Amino acid sequence: MYDLIWLLPILPLLSFCILFATGGNLAPRWVTMLGVGSIGIAALIVGVIAWFWLTTGMREPYLYSLGPWMNVAGFTPTFGFYLDGLSLTMLMVVTGVGFLIHVYSSLFMADDLDFSRFFAYMNLFVSAMLVLVLADNLLLLYLGWEGVGLCSYLLVGFWHAKPANGAAARKAFIITRIGDTAMALGLFLLFMHLGTLEIQPMLATASATWQTGDSIPTIAALLLLGGAVGKSAQLPLQTWLPDAMAGPTPVSALIHAATMVTAGVYLIARTHELYLLAPMAQATVAIVGVATLLIAAFTALAQHDIKRILAYSTISQIGYMFLALGVGAWSSAIFHLMTHAFFKALLFLGAGAVIFSLHHEHDIFKMGGLRKKLPVAFWSFLIGSAALTALPFTSGFYSKDAILLAAFEHNPWLYAGGLLGALLTAIYSFRLVFLVFFGDVKTEPSAPAGPRMAVPLIILCFFSVVGGWIHIPVDEVFPVVAGPSHEGPVALITPLIPIVGVLLAYFLFLRRSLDFSGFFGSGLGRNLKAFFFSHWGMDWLYDKVFVVPYTAVARLNQSDAVDLVYEGVANLTSIFHSLIAFTQTGQLRWYAATMVAGLVLLIAIVMGIV
Amino acid sequence: MSGLQLQALLPIITLSSLILIQMMFIAFARNLRLTVSISVIALLLTALSFFPMVDHLPISATPLIQLDGFALFYSGLVLLGALMVTFLSYDYLRDQGERQDEFFMLLLLSCLGALILVSSNHFASFILGLELLGVSLYTMMSYPTRGLFTLEAALKYLILSGVSSAFILFGAALIYAIEGKLGFTELAGMNHTSAASGQFILLMGSTMIFAGIMFKLSLAPFHLWTPDVYDGAPAPVTAFLATVSKGAIFALALRLFTTTGLIDLDPLLRGLSFVAMVSILAGNLLALLQDNVKRILAYSSIAHMGYLAVAFVVAGKAGGQIMAMEAASYFLFAYFLTTLLAFSVVTIMSIADHEVDTTNLGDYEGLFWRRPALAAVFTATLLSLAGIPLTAGFIGKFYIFSIGVAAEAWLLMAFVVIGSGIGIFYYLRIIFAMTKAPRTDVKIEIPTASGWVAVVLTVSLVLFGVYPSPIIDLIGELMISFG
Repeated sequence: MYDLIWLLPILPLLSFCILFATGGNLAPRWVTMLGVGSIGIAALIVGVIAWFWLTTGMREPYLYSLGPWMNVAGFTPTFGFYLDGLSLTMLMVVTGVGFLIHVYSSLFMADDLDFSRFFAYMNLFVSAMLVLVLADNLLLLYLGWEGVGLCSYLLVGFWHAKPANGAAARKAFIITRIGDTAMALGLFLLFMHLGTLEIQPMLATASATWQTGDSIPTIAALLLLGGAVGKSAQLPLQTWLPDAMAGPTPVSALIHAATMVTAGVYLIARTHELYLLAPMAQATVAIVGVATLLIAAFTALAQHDIKRILAYSTISQIGYMFLALGVGAWSSAIFHLMTHAFFKALLFLGAGAVIFSLHHEHDIFKMGGLRKKLPVAFWSFLIGSAALTALPFTSGFYSKDAILLAAFEHNPWLYAGGLLGALLTAIYSFRLVFLVFFGDVKTEPSAPAGPRMAVPLIILCFFSVVGGWIHIPVDEVFPVVAGPSHEGPVALITPLIPIVGVLLAYFLFLRRSLDFSGFFGSGLGRNLKAFFFSHWGMDWLYDKVFVVPYTAVARLNQSDAVDLVYEGVANLTSIFHSLIAFTQTGQLRWYAATMVAGLVLLIAIVMGIV
Repeated sequence: MSGLQLQALLPIITLSSLILIQMMFIAFARNLRLTVSISVIALLLTALSFFPMVDHLPISATPLIQLDGFALFYSGLVLLGALMVTFLSYDYLRDQGERQDEFFMLLLLSCLGALILVSSNHFASFILGLELLGVSLYTMMSYPTRGLFTLEAALKYLILSGVSSAFILFGAALIYAIEGKLGFTELAGMNHTSAASGQFILLMGSTMIFAGIMFKLSLAPFHLWTPDVYDGAPAPVTAFLATVSKGAIFALALRLFTTTGLIDLDPLLRGLSFVAMVSILAGNLLALLQDNVKRILAYSSIAHMGYLAVAFVVAGKAGGQIMAMEAASYFLFAYFLTTLLAFSVVTIMSIADHEVDTTNLGDYEGLFWRRPALAAVFTATLLSLAGIPLTAGFIGKFYIFSIGVAAEAWLLMAFVVIGSGIGIFYYLRIIFAMTKAPRTDVKIEIPTASGWVAVVLTVSLVLFGVYPSPIIDLIGELMISFG
């Protein structure tokens, strides 16, 4: 039964190949059938596998071996697909949410000239993501890891006619590349010391050979963390994600909210034994998480662009997942990953519906009063924001609550940071809802989108509400930790804070009975706002610290001294050519003479005279 | 003469009789299609006639002919080359008037010479095969088509070949003077360490034979004729000269020098190393700024023969002889495929042009836009010549490298590396020219036979570049029965 998993990455890949080979000559109907259908079948297979997994007792990890990749000098990596509770959860998220987003895209992108190319890239992305999730070997995982990175690049820059989109795509690619380099170094280090990259044997060997706190596992874990912060847009490599919103909205929903950006969380969860050996690295994960979630939440408060708000909120929510990983609440991290995939995909697709109806308007201050005009989008946003804010009984509530309580057990400061983040989350989420859907109509929307966009929204609404009651099957994967106690003031404060935030937002942005315009009009307030708006000046800082010196050095080295060597070689070669070309006279007598001379020379050499 | 020995002569007999039949047809029922069909049948039948004796190798038929796995492999290459050239020539000559039939007979005669060469085990059959190959080739070369300077090319080749034949004959005479024998196997027992004067004459003789062979292989410093002849001769004839003729002579040289043990003489190897290095350098440097595609291919073949000579030198160093023979054979196989393919592209382009052979680099500009498939094929060829992975040429060059490194012939390897580096420049130059904007948009018609030749060769080129094992295994098997 479980050996069906080999089909999962193949189906979208096949569809990609067909779409790519036909180069846009296929009728849109067939493109839709292929592009959406392949993901649909994959989702169906995952559904069947999950049903088997959950209903029967067969919960032993299953390995589908693909055989060795190459055999060079004792280096024989064998590849396989590995199915356990963790990868199954990820499979459900990737194919389930992925399928809904594909259905949505078939209408959202319908008028695009490059309809076929869009689905080709999307399918390639899903294929690579499934390889990443199913890989039993870090090398194969790395293939998927780079594959999703490539697709992210291609899709961010999908509308490549606009130079800014190309720049955003390059930024996303290059910044994640920094993390990937760290990750590659980590892989080399692990391979050097453990002799294998097959995840399960490798982790077993690691636990057997190293003591907790040894330096090698710490360095390796930190290097892998480098890869994770790049891919998952965490401090200090998070600056690419807001710009990545240049891609089409379904891309943002699929890649930059639900799946790819959580790959870092998956990587750390997958190799959690390594982090248990390296408490220092694990603490770093937690600190990175808290710092990121706070910085991103403050930034989200100041944004105007609907998609950028959601982007910063994604960074912030992944910060929660990192916090969970850092405090050892592994399953809560994956739980939040799943619920986040539901409600963030919902929010992005809802934003897409708004943008679609408002003719590509992104500024929330130009929107308003859309509650009546776009009811599906409104309810999507309301439910999505409620879940994002973690209002009681929504899916986000269960996952975020678990994370915050686990953080409290670990360290009150981490908890405090998370709690402040939760308050901010509530404010910026409902600021968005109140500004866009309440008040006066500022831009008149066209008719709401058709059922192919509405139905995925409704399904995602459903899961955003009830997703919290799903019990993800990861009990066998992670070490059992005693559940945090739900008593005392902490258990009361934690769910209350988001409600306070919503109320604050209500008074600030809807009733406007709280007014800070005086403060924000003053010099300090204006600067603070600009500071938050610019994402704490990080782009500016990176530009000054890295880009400017780099380009300066490059300019200094424009007439490269090293180049002279190569130019010299080239010149020397052409000089030799013109010297030797003289011999080619075309005259028979000269040719015959050289033959005789050549013979004499040859005899001289053979006889040892020359 | 036993039945088995007679069987060993069967391919030669088959081909000879079919040549006679073809001559009769040309005399009494002149029809180009018929003549070409007979040529194709003759080549296929000759190939078939090898099969009955596969299990009985090696066979010596008379002291002149030695049939073994080595001969079988090179006979196969010769027949393959001849078949491809036949198809190319048919398209090339079809619209050139009435007197084209004899060309195909000459082609078969040349092929017969090549077959004798690859299995010859005696100086007599060596000279016989060499001249049979050569004389027919001069005539083919001088075929007046498409306003080329064919006569000039043929005359140059004829006269200089005469000089080289004189070298060979004189060298053979010197060896005979010392040893009193002319059979290769008999010469194996030569007393190389006899009196100093004898040694001197022996070396002198072998050097002269070497020089003659080097001329035919266009190794420097006997290479000057190559570009003129390549450029002047009709494209299919150049293809024949570059592959069948050179391949057969190389096979002969390999057999001559390994069987007789001359290859173990250090002074000779010193000379050969020198020739290899000069050829690699001269070939690549001369090609560098050349604007004529046929001449570029000529220079490139000089360099390739230099790479082959490296294998030859390494074969002489103790230990790696079988490996070196394998390497040389695979390299030559790849060279056959690649060169035939390159000239089939040139042939197709020339046919489309009608007037003269299409040789100017300018004529290839924009080929990617005019005929993408043809340009892709040519690109594959050039990449194979440059030794880029996924082509047969890469495996061939990789082989040369691996035996060179195994034999620790570092100086030679340095030259191979430098040569390959320079080579990439002029191969890419052609590819670059093909991607430029086209000068005309006249449609290029691809004739059927040549088109299929190009398809078959391209597929083989890529197939054996990705998955070379079948050919490597075949060569390994056939080489065991050698000597």
